[in-house]
Amino acid sequence: MKTKDLFKDKLKRREVLRKGMGALGIAGLAGSSLAPSMFGRVAEAAASAAANGKILVILELSGGNDGLNTVVPYGDDAYYRHRPEIGLPKSDLRILDDHFGLNPGMAGLESLFKDGKMAIVHGCGYDNPSFSHFTSMAYWHTAAPNSGEEYGWVGRLADDMEPSAPANYLVNVAARQSLAVRSKSHVPVVFDQPNRFVREAFHEEKNALERVPDVGNVDNPSRRYLLDIARSANDASALVRQAWSNYNSPVDYGVNSLDLPKVVSLIDAGMPTKLYYVSYRNNAFDTHVFQNNVHRRLLTYTSDAVAAFIRDLERIGRADDVALMIFSEFGRRVPENVSLGTDHGAANAMFVVGSKVKGGHYGDLPSLTNLAEGDNLGHTTDFRRVYQTMIQGWLGHEAELGLLNGRFQPFDMFG
Amino acid sequence: MRGRITIALGGASIAALLMCSPALAQQGGIISWQDDLSPLANTDWNYDRAAHLLERAGFGGTPADIDLLASMSLSEAVRSLVYFDPAANIRSHPFDHSGIHDPGLEPFPPSRPATTDLAKETGEALGIKVKPTGNRRLQPVVNKFFYWLRASVLETNRVAYWWANRMVDSNNPLQEKMALFWHGHYAVNESKVRDYRKLLIEIELFQEMGTGNFRDLMVAVAQDPAMLSFLDAGVNVKGAPNENFAREIMELFTMGVGNYSERDIREAARAFTGWNYADLEFVINEDEHDNGVKQFLGRSGNLDGVEVIDIIMEQPVTAEYIAGKIYRFFVRDDLSSELQNELGNVFRDSNYEVAPLLETIFQSKDFYSAASVGTHIKSPIELAVSTYVKLGLEDVPGVPDFNSATGALGQTLFRPPTVAGWAGGRSWITPGLLLERGNFARDVLFPDINFIPSDRRNGSREIQSVARRIREGLDITSATQPSSIGEGQIMAESNMLADRDEDFNTRYGSFRGWQMAIERVKPIPRHTARLNLSKMVMDQQLTNTAEVIDYFIARFMRVAPGTDARSMLIDFLSNEIGTTNIVEAESYMEDSLRMTLHLLLSQPEYQLS
Repeated sequence: MKTKDLFKDKLKRREVLRKGMGALGIAGLAGSSLAPSMFGRVAEAAASAAANGKILVILELSGGNDGLNTVVPYGDDAYYRHRPEIGLPKSDLRILDDHFGLNPGMAGLESLFKDGKMAIVHGCGYDNPSFSHFTSMAYWHTAAPNSGEEYGWVGRLADDMEPSAPANYLVNVAARQSLAVRSKSHVPVVFDQPNRFVREAFHEEKNALERVPDVGNVDNPSRRYLLDIARSANDASALVRQAWSNYNSPVDYGVNSLDLPKVVSLIDAGMPTKLYYVSYRNNAFDTHVFQNNVHRRLLTYTSDAVAAFIRDLERIGRADDVALMIFSEFGRRVPENVSLGTDHGAANAMFVVGSKVKGGHYGDLPSLTNLAEGDNLGHTTDFRRVYQTMIQGWLGHEAELGLLNGRFQPFDMFG
Repeated sequence: MRGRITIALGGASIAALLMCSPALAQQGGIISWQDDLSPLANTDWNYDRAAHLLERAGFGGTPADIDLLASMSLSEAVRSLVYFDPAANIRSHPFDHSGIHDPGLEPFPPSRPATTDLAKETGEALGIKVKPTGNRRLQPVVNKFFYWLRASVLETNRVAYWWANRMVDSNNPLQEKMALFWHGHYAVNESKVRDYRKLLIEIELFQEMGTGNFRDLMVAVAQDPAMLSFLDAGVNVKGAPNENFAREIMELFTMGVGNYSERDIREAARAFTGWNYADLEFVINEDEHDNGVKQFLGRSGNLDGVEVIDIIMEQPVTAEYIAGKIYRFFVRDDLSSELQNELGNVFRDSNYEVAPLLETIFQSKDFYSAASVGTHIKSPIELAVSTYVKLGLEDVPGVPDFNSATGALGQTLFRPPTVAGWAGGRSWITPGLLLERGNFARDVLFPDINFIPSDRRNGSREIQSVARRIREGLDITSATQPSSIGEGQIMAESNMLADRDEDFNTRYGSFRGWQMAIERVKPIPRHTARLNLSKMVMDQQLTNTAEVIDYFIARFMRVAPGTDARSMLIDFLSNEIGTTNIVEAESYMEDSLRMTLHLLLSQPEYQLS
């Protein structure tokens, strides 16, 4: 691109942003310049809400969701210059405003956005981004970019909120425990299929199997770990199974429910769980080749499941108690690759959904013309700011300062 | 090891076995041996350490297998495992193909839409022509697309059975254990590769080269169709390199993250441009190969992929990374950086030969130290295979299904969760999975009489309902309406999409694809484990229930459960058979013995090796 065009492009982007602030009320732009005194009030209000059983659900989209083809900046010509083949034309999009449209597969999230129940946080990322799935995901899981950390941020949050580590405080529906929920004091309840979360036994064996193993003087660390897990399994399995067998919902979650019905079943059963963690599994969003069909399908499944989750919560009368945060370990490279896909990138949009969410756009838009190193979006919002928003703004918890390895200002996101 | 053992266990050796256990099984190793790579003295070599060696270098053994190893010297025992002769494996037989791959299927398009687009453009796809007129002209193409997806899945399950049988019954257990390591290291997934033939070829590569030279193996894997397909190497072309392949080679396969720059990745990607596969063969498309000068890890020149791998092999960190990973797989998770350096030196000094590294590890005092013995959490594959080995089975039962059972525990062969393979260690255990491990033991000891083979009957309710409605004579549109939605509810968008295109019906294609696949893929034999625990304990000339429990603990466990668990098991068995005298109870004690063993195998300690 010629320098002259570059410059023109920049002007245009500014114009869009100005328009956006006026006409669309990009709430985050105000949020980022909140006066310190206001934080006190936000925190206060949220703290009183915490007593009312606020629940945080986190949905991970593994593989690196292509944020640019999810929330499409169709009003920016640069988007189409970077993506001549896979860029989604305006006519295909679900138009949100005069700058953005959602991927055509996202009917469910479109209506949530239009109902004012979805926040889109633009440009989330961190300094010196890693382009490795595993490394970047570990940074997001631990809220400790570019450093090592043994415990996950959700696990540490549980430790901070409830140091006495009551049973069933933290649930991870997964085949394997996520690093995000690894906790010093809590033993997260991790299960995949509720109806398989049971020790199958003959009548004669039941007493013998319910015996709580004696941890006593065990030196072998692996053995001690297994004995701890055995205790937690005994505590949780009956509750989870009961909740699931009582759950009977007419809501259509579509092709991949992303384990959200299991979360609803536990909430409905009155589990004391404050923190839930689920994921779209198996690196699904890693769309290096021929991505448009498959990416649209992934977004449809996600959007169906999330919209159904909110309807299901409304059905059981608990929609006001739950907020859902959605993230991916990175966005994707701004220019498309020659395989009609995209490679690992950096900054990305995050989403927060819930009936108490003040819907709209948050965070500054990353530039599509002044790209960061490696043709990537530069981040405008540290992702931990969104974590802080959920901790302080939603859960109303005044976290210990080191919890997120830095101080972050929450967005004013909850009504 | 297994299968060729002919030494009968006399009363004397059993007495010795009972004496050394469970006390020895609990004793573990010596603390001060930790981090010491010098060989264990022959005077310290015994039955229990032979059992530990066989657990780790293979999948455990029966008392007879362990006795045979213990009767050798330490170095003989280790060498018999490490320097196996693949040709001497009397138990191996080649995979029995169902014959499901048809001309026209290759190259298989990346998606259903890509397939139907191709058919619309050219009038043919997957070897199937488009109908000239009529409704759903593309339906046969779509059927064929789903046929191959489903058939490859089913046949891959058969390949997994074939491999699992080798793990249970090979007389070269390390050959299979090492192949399992490389399968986790070079993780490729059926759902992306979508061709059981490529997956089979890759496992055969690991079986053949797994204990050989790592550099040669790395080159072979980089030119292996399964890996090339999995990492999209085919789209890495001159002028527009795709970095996926080069990145994973460095990050996951050789050096680990942090030992190269993003620029090194881009340059290496250029060196691999043009590498591709045609059906089952590696090819280099010269037109797509970038012949320019590349700067890679401080070197420069018109490098190609093999030269890039050779430069990677010159990096000290490569030997340390791979030696450390092998060590973690076979020995223990925590490894000091000093020991990792030392292992890296051993590996480099042997010019990346894997066998000498393994020989050093398996002979070392560190391998038999307290930190190493009984601290490894078995992977689901290790758990299932070693359970069958210790029960004395010669093959894998068809009930429970091996793939579903290990999958429910978090590990399915040919389906690692990510490019990085299985995380292993403590991540194998969650509260849910710990219970599931006990359920696996019960499914083996008391096979479910209502078992439904998933390779014969499709478990999806949608497929079943489409099949039923088609048989009832409904038209395709009516038969494929989703049936699971509550009244007055909004239909999920994904469920509305299916029937929109009149050229074909995706749901019908999915149903018909299953039907065609089940017809052509050979069934997995569905025998249950033939067990006779009564005979097992009577052959040992045991007389009372306490001896039975101690025998089971010695035979099945490397870490004995606590004394309270032992008492519980003795009481349970005595109560069930109504006496402590098993000779009196011989005629009716089988079910009680099986329940007792189920309780034992459900103990947290059974997860350790």
